[in-house]
Amino acid sequence: MLAYTFKRLLLAVAIVSLAMFLLFCMIYTIPGDPAAVALGPRATDEMREALRIKMGLDQPIWVQFWNFFTGAWTGDLGNEVLSDRPVLDVVLEQLPYTLALIAGGISWSVALGIPLGCWAAVSRGSVADRIVGVISVAVIAVPSFVIAIYALLIFAVTLRWLPAIGAGEPGDLSDQLVHLILPSLAVGLGWVGYIARMVRASMLEVLEASHIRTARAFGLPHRMITYRYALTIAILPTITLLGVGIGQMLSSAVFAEIVFARPGVGKLVYDAILTRNFPVVTGAVLVTTVLFVLLNLLADLLVGALDPRVRSSF
Amino acid sequence: MTTQPKFGLSRRSFLASAGAFGAATTMMPRMALSQDGKVLTVRSYSDLQLLDPAFRLSLPEDDIIRSIFAPMIVPQSGDTWGWKPIAVESIEQLDGLTVAFKLHPEIGFTDGYGQMTAEDVKFSIERIADPANESPYAGDWAALKEVEVKDTLSGLIHLNNPFVPLWNTTLPTPASCIVSKKAVEELGGKIATDPVAQSGQYLLTEWVPKQKTVLRRNPDWKYEQGGYEEIHIIPIEDPATAELGFEAGDLDYTWTAVSSLPRLKENPPEGSVVLEKPSLAYVWLGINQDNEALQDVRIRRAIQHAIDRPTVVDAAYFGAAAVGNGIIAPGLPGSRDAVTYDYDPEKSRALLEEAGATGLSVTLDILNQSERLTAAQVIQANLADVGITCEIKQNDSGTFWTLGSKEGDYFMNLQLVLSRFSMQPDPSWATVWFTPEQVGVWNWERFDNAEYKALHDQGLQESDPAKRDEIYKKMQGLMDESGCYVFFTHEVVGAIHKDTVSPGLKPNGESLLADFKEA
Repeated sequence: MLAYTFKRLLLAVAIVSLAMFLLFCMIYTIPGDPAAVALGPRATDEMREALRIKMGLDQPIWVQFWNFFTGAWTGDLGNEVLSDRPVLDVVLEQLPYTLALIAGGISWSVALGIPLGCWAAVSRGSVADRIVGVISVAVIAVPSFVIAIYALLIFAVTLRWLPAIGAGEPGDLSDQLVHLILPSLAVGLGWVGYIARMVRASMLEVLEASHIRTARAFGLPHRMITYRYALTIAILPTITLLGVGIGQMLSSAVFAEIVFARPGVGKLVYDAILTRNFPVVTGAVLVTTVLFVLLNLLADLLVGALDPRVRSSF
Repeated sequence: MTTQPKFGLSRRSFLASAGAFGAATTMMPRMALSQDGKVLTVRSYSDLQLLDPAFRLSLPEDDIIRSIFAPMIVPQSGDTWGWKPIAVESIEQLDGLTVAFKLHPEIGFTDGYGQMTAEDVKFSIERIADPANESPYAGDWAALKEVEVKDTLSGLIHLNNPFVPLWNTTLPTPASCIVSKKAVEELGGKIATDPVAQSGQYLLTEWVPKQKTVLRRNPDWKYEQGGYEEIHIIPIEDPATAELGFEAGDLDYTWTAVSSLPRLKENPPEGSVVLEKPSLAYVWLGINQDNEALQDVRIRRAIQHAIDRPTVVDAAYFGAAAVGNGIIAPGLPGSRDAVTYDYDPEKSRALLEEAGATGLSVTLDILNQSERLTAAQVIQANLADVGITCEIKQNDSGTFWTLGSKEGDYFMNLQLVLSRFSMQPDPSWATVWFTPEQVGVWNWERFDNAEYKALHDQGLQESDPAKRDEIYKKMQGLMDESGCYVFFTHEVVGAIHKDTVSPGLKPNGESLLADFKEA
């Protein structure tokens, strides 16, 4: 297990380094002058030039990359262009909102997807199975921003059950949870379909396994066989799927944060790209990349710990 | 064998009930909050980035800065442009070059920075004017000679030359906000996002980045009080999101998209008032006279005659905006009733043939916003009608705002560009961007006219409104003659507020937070 963990860590470092390089290349090919955009129409040429120097844009591109690369590995992501606040602080104050959104999305997808998948598997071929199949494909096919807008129109504007904008009062957990319901539903609903399909397929496979037949032969209760013996095995691919799904949810989070006017890393990056605030773009994307890689690593290690076949394959 | 009682409480039903109860109780605070009349919740289109009056970046920041650092005067809310004193007990123009002021005696700075004095006024104004400080607003005080301190509360503002915009676009803006000399010097000369030594009608008590800014009435403010105990400012960039937030009851006031105005006016949400205010902004099609294909003035005039301006404006703004005839909005000196070119496709075709430019192909750069795209598509159809092929190029804001910059590599390739500038209530604010010094900066048409420049300088010093009117009309006539401009509209500003709120708005619909009151 130690060797497996070490190999996975090495791979994670390589992925983050490659991501940093690609990110840097992409950002510096975007047209537009960051100094002119940041300072607005009333700035003089001298002021724009001073800001370019402050941002390090007067340096050769390889020097800029080396400064960014070495700084990033020591936790120094530079300072925000105008307010001079450390980028790491700016990103970390937005990160909890995005993490809460993703956690909420995962909660919706697990809470609805796993029972639906189990129900479809144990009712294989029935009307219930077909209904779950149709629902799964439908929620996968509908983009998250469409779900977000309809949820907002129904539950916030028409019924006024839930708030439409914001993330709730800081320090008021119940208010924050209420503000999380609709955005997290928008982020997680698509994954309900994926997880239901995955759990159904895995369950059908496991329910045919010999140890399940043996359990049935011993007369164990149906519920115990389904949930204790079949589901615990069938759920393993779902963990891997969720590891990948977090990346998808991060991109959905951008839409949810804009539509629901929530703070978060997605919104931060979106605004920073529009204003060519490159230090914030690089810092925020780097932090989310590291987070994504770590969560995937965690998912892989978890599957490795639960399934000896995965461990032995490395 | 036992049977469960029919109406018994199972573990499952207990958990379900508890969950439902929990969800219901968490919704209660929201209902309670919306009934609290002491808090005003408004939308701003961007979050604050800098609180320094000398380095502010956006309109929403202006409103916050004006509320927390007492300005000498502020714009008056209502339908006509005017001002009212805030930090000053009196202020008057003694002659063309001198303004006398006297501060209110009981204005103090928070955080132990003491009484506001004339020395603070001198520091606040001169730090903006001083080129060494590189304030983008140095131009507001371009005519400043010095601020003379007479005593603790009084002083004189001395100008080098008469400067008419002083009372329209300098003093009523945050360029007259007074900061504490001691506090700013301790901060190293610049205020960032931590509002030290506040002095205004409100105090900034909380800023949650990207989420909200909270202003609370300044308990030590002795003069005209703000209308609400607290003002919560929520940054929402997308107007459609803000409209939904308003309809859901989460906002008391918001700007709306112009495209939403017809729908909201026809069917306003219950308990709301929809406003439509004339904007000072101006939208135009710019034609780069230095581009190789457009150097012949006959080609540029042909483009002017090819475009059906009312159709462009109607299509882009859903009939909500009127056609504009220049860069100066109605109500200001220099506003025109008509342009000097008309929609005449026949004349356009004739000019193109005369210039040997039949079969011309051009590009039209626009910002990637829906009303700009609609306008561009109508322009494209109009140009096609006279035989000009037009390719529309959409740009994000970061790219768009550098297209005509001489420091880039595209400015000579730029051909047609659909632009919009915002505006302050003085015509010089519009004309300044088209002077020869601005070629390659904000003058992307590269319109270079010495007479225009001379008239601009004359307009800054001319105090007679009739003569100013004449000057600025003549300047726009020169713009017409160059063939570099097709003027479209001054737009409108749409806003919506609860009927329990009486909003404080400038004539162009921009908000004055401290002037919002309960209806």
